[in-house]
Amino acid sequence: MNTDKNESPMTQILADLKALAIGFATTFKHLFQKPFTEEYPEYKRPLPARSRARIILTRDPDGGERCVACYLCSAVCPVSCISMQSAEQADGRRYAPWFRINFGRCIYCGLCEEACPTAAIQLTPDFEMCKQDILALVYEKEDLLVDHGGKDKQYNFYQYAGVVTDVGEKGTHIKEEKPVNIRSNLP
Amino acid sequence: MPKLIIDNQEIDVQPGTKVIDAAEQLGIMIPRFCYHPALGSVGACRVCAVKFLQGPFKGVQMSCMIDAKDGMVVSTTDEEAVDFRKYVIEWLMLHHPHDCPVCDEGGHCLLQDMTVAGGHGLRRYQGKKRTHHDQHLGPLVQHEMNRCIQCYRCSRFYQKFSGYRDLGVLQIGERVYFGRYQAGTLESPFSGNLIDICPTGVYTDKPSRFIGRRWDYERTPSLCINCSLGCHTVVSTRYREIVRQEARFSEAVNGHFICDRGRYGFFYASQEKRPRYAQINGNEVSWEKSIQTARDQLNRISQESGPGAVASVGSVRSSLETQAALSRLCQKKGWQGPVYWIDHGQEMNVKTAAAELADELAVSLRDVEQADYILAVGADPVNEAPMLVLALRQAQRMGAKVCFLDPRPIGLPFSFQHISVAPQAMDLILAHLLKETIDQDTIKGLEPHEKKIFDAIPNNSHLVSSNQKLLNAVANDIRLSQRLVIVCGTDVVSETIPERAAYFARLLAKMGKQVGLFYLLPGANAFGAALLSDDAPTFGRILDEIEAGLVRALVLVENDPYGYYPDRPRLERVLQQLDLLLVMDYLDVRTIQDADVFLPTLTLYEAGGFFVNQEGRIQKASIAYQGGHPISQFSNGNHPPRSFRNQIPGKEAQPAWQALIELANENSATPKQGVRADILAWLVKTHPLFSKLPPDNAFPSDGIRINPGKDIHFRSAADRLVVPTLASESADQMELITVDWTFGTEELSTRSPHLRKMESKPCVFMHSNDAAQLDISEGDKVAVRSDTGIVSIHVTITDNMAPGVLIIPRHQRLDWQHLGASKITVSKDQIRKIREEEPC
Ligand code: SF4
Ligand code: SF4
Ligand code: SF4
Ligand code: SF4
Ligand code: FES
Repeated sequence: MNTDKNESPMTQILADLKALAIGFATTFKHLFQKPFTEEYPEYKRPLPARSRARIILTRDPDGGERCVACYLCSAVCPVSCISMQSAEQADGRRYAPWFRINFGRCIYCGLCEEACPTAAIQLTPDFEMCKQDILALVYEKEDLLVDHGGKDKQYNFYQYAGVVTDVGEKGTHIKEEKPVNIRSNLP
Repeated sequence: MPKLIIDNQEIDVQPGTKVIDAAEQLGIMIPRFCYHPALGSVGACRVCAVKFLQGPFKGVQMSCMIDAKDGMVVSTTDEEAVDFRKYVIEWLMLHHPHDCPVCDEGGHCLLQDMTVAGGHGLRRYQGKKRTHHDQHLGPLVQHEMNRCIQCYRCSRFYQKFSGYRDLGVLQIGERVYFGRYQAGTLESPFSGNLIDICPTGVYTDKPSRFIGRRWDYERTPSLCINCSLGCHTVVSTRYREIVRQEARFSEAVNGHFICDRGRYGFFYASQEKRPRYAQINGNEVSWEKSIQTARDQLNRISQESGPGAVASVGSVRSSLETQAALSRLCQKKGWQGPVYWIDHGQEMNVKTAAAELADELAVSLRDVEQADYILAVGADPVNEAPMLVLALRQAQRMGAKVCFLDPRPIGLPFSFQHISVAPQAMDLILAHLLKETIDQDTIKGLEPHEKKIFDAIPNNSHLVSSNQKLLNAVANDIRLSQRLVIVCGTDVVSETIPERAAYFARLLAKMGKQVGLFYLLPGANAFGAALLSDDAPTFGRILDEIEAGLVRALVLVENDPYGYYPDRPRLERVLQQLDLLLVMDYLDVRTIQDADVFLPTLTLYEAGGFFVNQEGRIQKASIAYQGGHPISQFSNGNHPPRSFRNQIPGKEAQPAWQALIELANENSATPKQGVRADILAWLVKTHPLFSKLPPDNAFPSDGIRINPGKDIHFRSAADRLVVPTLASESADQMELITVDWTFGTEELSTRSPHLRKMESKPCVFMHSNDAAQLDISEGDKVAVRSDTGIVSIHVTITDNMAPGVLIIPRHQRLDWQHLGASKITVSKDQIRKIREEEPC
């Protein structure tokens, strides 16, 4: 608003009235336009796949659990809401016998997904996480584990790693030579 | 002293210091893989490159290979050097597998750190990677050879440093392989150190495999109490459980390494069977109720039959605080005790050792490494104090000679002399050596009482003549040496030997030699027990008094007589006669079943405390965690419970000292705070020796050494150095001794499931001559009959031991406690060959 002291009061009043009129006119105009408001929760707007909300643990293409319980996600988590225990499976894979995320604490920053070397942990667009009982927000592995690959359908960590698992012996992983025969000097 | 400039900072260093170390002294950490202060430099990895700007060398050079010289100007940040190091890392990563997420080294991996620090973020090499098969190396070390960067630390440690030969380097060029010729359990009892020194994840810790990451562990400085050396360790705790133990550097004691018994000996702390609740007659009750009951009963008995009717037994594995609290309790109540020693022989040996360890004679493990001659008497380092082996090996590598006077088949990873004579003859041989070594001038200068001892040594006997050549050579070597160490055991030796060893050392010192004395004791805090046991009777004596009805109540504090007492039938019988048996322990000992009242106590990881090692060094273990049921056991391997409470489950146990003080106080309201400080104050007041004890927050990392000398209290102050005599020897008699083994005999480490896999089957060692005479061959099973029972056991025949001796391990899988005593004489017809199936 013009607050110049030299202006006469009359000019000022006129200017104020004009502003009021413009405001009301804008509102009036919108009364006849289609509203933007969407009736949530009756209508749920599709969100981009990269939106960050409820976290899942995915599987690799052949159905194995991707998470190798490397603790990188729990280390990077700024609110320390991920905890787990690692162990060895009979087939040589490292896995998490239990894996817990406390969504009461999670701030959906997505750092865990960024840290995950196996594409196991992924954030999904499902943000509807309101619960009466706060303990219901503590998700265990069975609540987190899904039966698909999430955003990355193809990656299988054990095809690249050098360790022996059900996925492959030494020398059979991607870009590996046959193991050295230590009892022969022939090339 | 060379003076050089590194990154614009000037420093004076000792001649011979490598540039990499000089920089470290300035706080500049030059990257390194192959260089290790204990292993020296080889220049294998090329990652320590720095640029020399001025001085005798110019350009980019390896800082671990070059001695600091006057006038050098070095830059670690020069662009050329930084670039060089970056390319070296890239090379080393060429074949490196994509393993970090599933590699247990991740989080404390030197290679990971250097890769990140060097800025090598993306792989440019698109070719195929070289791979290797892995080997099974036993239950302790996991092998993953793809991750190797060829720094040679492992083979240098395994072969050069420790002297074992079964792991090393094979192949050439980029195919080099570090492992064994054939897969199999590593022979070295120091194999766990491979895990610590390998800068990558080739060797990782198998018992803690896939348990967690370094950053999630709480790491606490601690001590190893699995033998009397008291090596420094650091324990990693997670979810109320010790998951891993590693070596902690100690200048004076263990250097950079520890043995496998120590490294994997901690599992007793989280045993599932560990007793965690107080009990009365086998029923769980509250701590307060137990204390109250025990106190009432003890008071009643001492009112009825006098305070002498209560006896208390302390432990060589308890902390100094607990030992002191027990002494204080006994003093206050007038009870008998604290009892620490099985029999008179053990008492004499340990107390003599503690008393003779004068300040000028006591040496640390590090000092042993500097010796040029080492005479070990009645000591078997691999089995009794493993880390001593590495110290002896360092001395041997520097040219020292090592000689053992011992009946046992001593096994060491290097060559040494071995005078193998029966235990009874050892004193005579030692005395003979002494006589041969000490020169006339020294003898003339002896004080009269010392002269008397010298003159009492008899002349040549047949024993000496059969070893004449070797003895002459040894005496000659001792005369020629300058820095001697006498190592003396206290287990299989007779009562005169610890004192004879000290006498020998004093005389050698008089000859102008630099002499050290190094005793081995029967427990981590046996030294503390020797200082605090005063006039108390031995355990054997207490059993007599129980049998005679004189002692009616027994208090066992972290002490398990079923483990060590050599006559089990008697022990069982006698303990039944007690009116009250009060047991306090953190182990699942058998006496808990017999106990009227039981109180659970805390381990050193939960209670911390002081321990005095065999050289009189008081060392401190910190509190690693609060105790309670480990989460892994509480949740059956599944996720932790989803309910919450404000008490840690299973955390009723208290430090033993707390229980003892609560027993001493008449009212039950003993505060939980400040008790330890009270005990220490009492200790300082009553034992001036401890007045040097620094406060907790200023406790030096290598501890402080106390050398009590005459302060040790002996029951018989008579002239103890008796004339060595030989019991009448008959060709028909054999001396049977019970001994320790590295794995399988020590009470804490035998509770480790991983070390159990390392135990060899118990066997009796027998000389080949004796075996031939008895018509026994290797692997046969024999029954040895003693006055109290029969022990049946397989035979191992060797030439590498004294004839006329049987050697039986006090193995947890063997009922050796039917022998009746820890040293006995058996006649040959008491040894009978039995068929495998035959019940004994
Ligand atoms: S970062 Fe990925 S693989 Fe590692 S623990 Fe977390 S979810 Fe599992
Ligand atoms: S050795 Fe180090 S760099 Fe290599 S996989 Fe293991 S953690 Fe990663
Ligand atoms: S196995 Fe480890 S210690 Fe041995 S050479 Fe390879 S990286 Fe070095
Ligand atoms: S030498 Fe003894 S104190 Fe040292 S680590 Fe081994 S068992 Fe423990
Ligand atoms: S540390 Fe110097 S070359 Fe390896």
